[in-house]
Amino acid sequence: MLENYLPVLIFICVGLLVGTVMIALGFVLAPHKPDSEKLSPYECGFEAFEDARMKFDVRYYLVAILFIIFDLEIAFLFPWAIVLKDIGLFGFLAMLVFLGILVVGFVYEWKKGALEWE
Amino acid sequence: MEQILFYIFATMVVLSATMVITVRNPVRAVLFLVVTFFCSSAIWLLLEAEFLAIVLVLVYVGAVMVLFLFVVMMLDINLARLREGFTRYLPIGAVVVIMLAIMLGMLVGPEHFGLDKFEAPARQAASYSNTRELGMVLYTVYLYPFEIAAVILLVAIVAAIALTLRRRPQTKYQDPDIQVAVQRNDRLRMVKMDAEKRK
Amino acid sequence: MNFPLPNFLPALPEIFLLTMACVVLLVDLFLTDRSRGATYILAMASLLGVCVLIALSFSHSRILTFSDTFVRDPMADALKMGIMIAAMVSFLYAKDYLREHGMFKGEFYILGLFGVLGMMILVSAHNFLTVYLGLELLSLCMYAMVAMQRDSAIASEAAMKYFVLGAIASGMLLYGMSILYGVTGTLDLGLINERLPNVQDKILLSFGMVFLIVGIAFKLGAVPFHMWVPDVYEGAPTAVTLYLAAAPKLAAFAMLMRLLVDGMASLHGQWQDILILLAVASMAIGNIIAIAQANLKRLLAYSAISHVGYLLLGVLTGTTEGYAASMFYALTYVLMTLGAFGMIMLMSRQGFEADRLEDFKGLNERSPWFAFIMMILMFSMAGVPPFLGFWAKLSVLQALVQSTGLLWLAITAVVFSIIGAFYYLRVIKMMYFDKAEDSSALIASNDMRVVLSANGLLVLGLGLYPGLLLAFCLATIVSP
Repeated sequence: MLENYLPVLIFICVGLLVGTVMIALGFVLAPHKPDSEKLSPYECGFEAFEDARMKFDVRYYLVAILFIIFDLEIAFLFPWAIVLKDIGLFGFLAMLVFLGILVVGFVYEWKKGALEWE
Repeated sequence: MEQILFYIFATMVVLSATMVITVRNPVRAVLFLVVTFFCSSAIWLLLEAEFLAIVLVLVYVGAVMVLFLFVVMMLDINLARLREGFTRYLPIGAVVVIMLAIMLGMLVGPEHFGLDKFEAPARQAASYSNTRELGMVLYTVYLYPFEIAAVILLVAIVAAIALTLRRRPQTKYQDPDIQVAVQRNDRLRMVKMDAEKRK
Repeated sequence: MNFPLPNFLPALPEIFLLTMACVVLLVDLFLTDRSRGATYILAMASLLGVCVLIALSFSHSRILTFSDTFVRDPMADALKMGIMIAAMVSFLYAKDYLREHGMFKGEFYILGLFGVLGMMILVSAHNFLTVYLGLELLSLCMYAMVAMQRDSAIASEAAMKYFVLGAIASGMLLYGMSILYGVTGTLDLGLINERLPNVQDKILLSFGMVFLIVGIAFKLGAVPFHMWVPDVYEGAPTAVTLYLAAAPKLAAFAMLMRLLVDGMASLHGQWQDILILLAVASMAIGNIIAIAQANLKRLLAYSAISHVGYLLLGVLTGTTEGYAASMFYALTYVLMTLGAFGMIMLMSRQGFEADRLEDFKGLNERSPWFAFIMMILMFSMAGVPPFLGFWAKLSVLQALVQSTGLLWLAITAVVFSIIGAFYYLRVIKMMYFDKAEDSSALIASNDMRVVLSANGLLVLGLGLYPGLLLAFCLATIVSP
């Protein structure tokens, strides 16, 4: 089975090689004369006066978390799609219940307004 | 060949996992975590657990780590404060870690888990599909745990919304639904009146 | 593919509860804050429905279904009914408290119902997978419930601690499971028990077992894995503390029984020593530190830790009598703890938590009846005859001495129980002999008064006829 993945392995090797060689070449060949002005962060022409990190609205995370939950749900669909013909009606209903439970969650988040951006 | 690959990926897992907890910059730590996941998925692939490997890349590298990166880049974490207790807790932490390492070393060595104790599983043919085998049992034999997984995901939705969603009645925003439904008559009133002459 | 259709009937209570929880979730969405009471009524009705379903089909033997991932036996049924009743009582006590503290939201009941579902799954687990999934479902609900009071810093901190430590404990449990899976090649608890004696490598077995026990001990709150208990009990809103102090203890007991007795009975000699250690440490630390507490919720948390120690005494005997005594102890403890937290909620008002010991000063002047109820509960927790708590301790110690002959352990348990009596009796002293700081009358709804009184009287009544509950427990533990 593993031989099917040989192209992936070769691809990883080539990718690594190309990536590192290019960066290394750039590092070795390019002239670099750093000074304090060049290294300081650039913020629209004036002195940087605060950190880029700040308190962020929790709504962004909520959207991301909800996305991950449905992403996980999708992961369960792949094997199901492959074997659907073999597991018959029982397997079909099993997934229907699974999705039904998650639809309840979906209705909940919709009605609660978690998908809305006020 | 396989053994060499295993050692390469295993070394990378250990090294990048170490980097996750030692680098100062949290963004880099998350990126190293991505490397760790990637290499562990390669190890799973070597075990012929194809589906797990793919899901690890898809869900963890693709979604969870992006969220992590997002959180870490945006949150204002005071790094100096995070490191404050480091020297104070170092001795007790070190003792625990060393004892754990000794125990693990005693345990997962070849004398307990070696190939002479447990036979290596036979390699599958090229046409073998791990995803297929998994699907054959997941929706039938393991129906009960499978449905529980759905309930856990549902609880995760409820908990995430209950803990983070806040209504903000004072924010002003546009509702396209209402905007589209607006009729001419709602906005404009035609008034008929006679023209007046200047006196 | 030829796959025999599983028998859904034994899992009917679970299926019913899942359906009802989803219905409650959907109905609650369409309710306004004023009609929120409907959620409460629906949640109570679902729990009652499950209780009736179980009672109607009470099993007499062991039934396995869903490819042996699900087990239903008399012990499971009895514990599930206990869980339902405990959850119903805690919902009832919590109702007024939640209203007064502006937390009367559907989510409390929804998460509560799903938590109960998790407990049922845990009680009926016959496979590592179902043990783990049930545990996670239960824990996830409890983490969220603890954090529900979002603007309270102490509640958020408690939730954070609970979550982080809980995640570590889950990791330990999984690690132990994976080692045992590696050794035996199966996740099925029955098969594991069969294959364990054939395993040559005993070190590997004990290693996996130790990790499993760490996970269980964390969930039970046994020393030295008790760190989360006081902080979570104190930090969580009292309604949530009540919920997670009562019913989940029964589920944790079931988890202990499933993993150690169903799964590893043949390793009894090895886990007995670990449980002895946990029991002694829990009784000692729990009872001694509780003396120094000024906060009643914290005091009850340490008392919970010490009670877990006594509960372990019965299980470690490895005999049917011991298991039955432990189950008796667990049920008794849940009954007492419901009453004790119910008293705190009875006394709390809007903007006032009656969780300091001083708040109970002079309760006798304010309400002689509830001071009497609290006295029954405290005497029972201390293990004074003829209250129920005494018989629970007695039966555990009896089983211990008769079947293992560990007399020193029994004596240690008695000594710590006497030390523990001090702080329970101090509460009684405060209620009866100290002046009240606040002489306002107690305000509570009638249903709460009635149920709380019944709760207290049950502790007294069952204490007068201790054979009833113990015989019931003995009947439900089917020797494997």
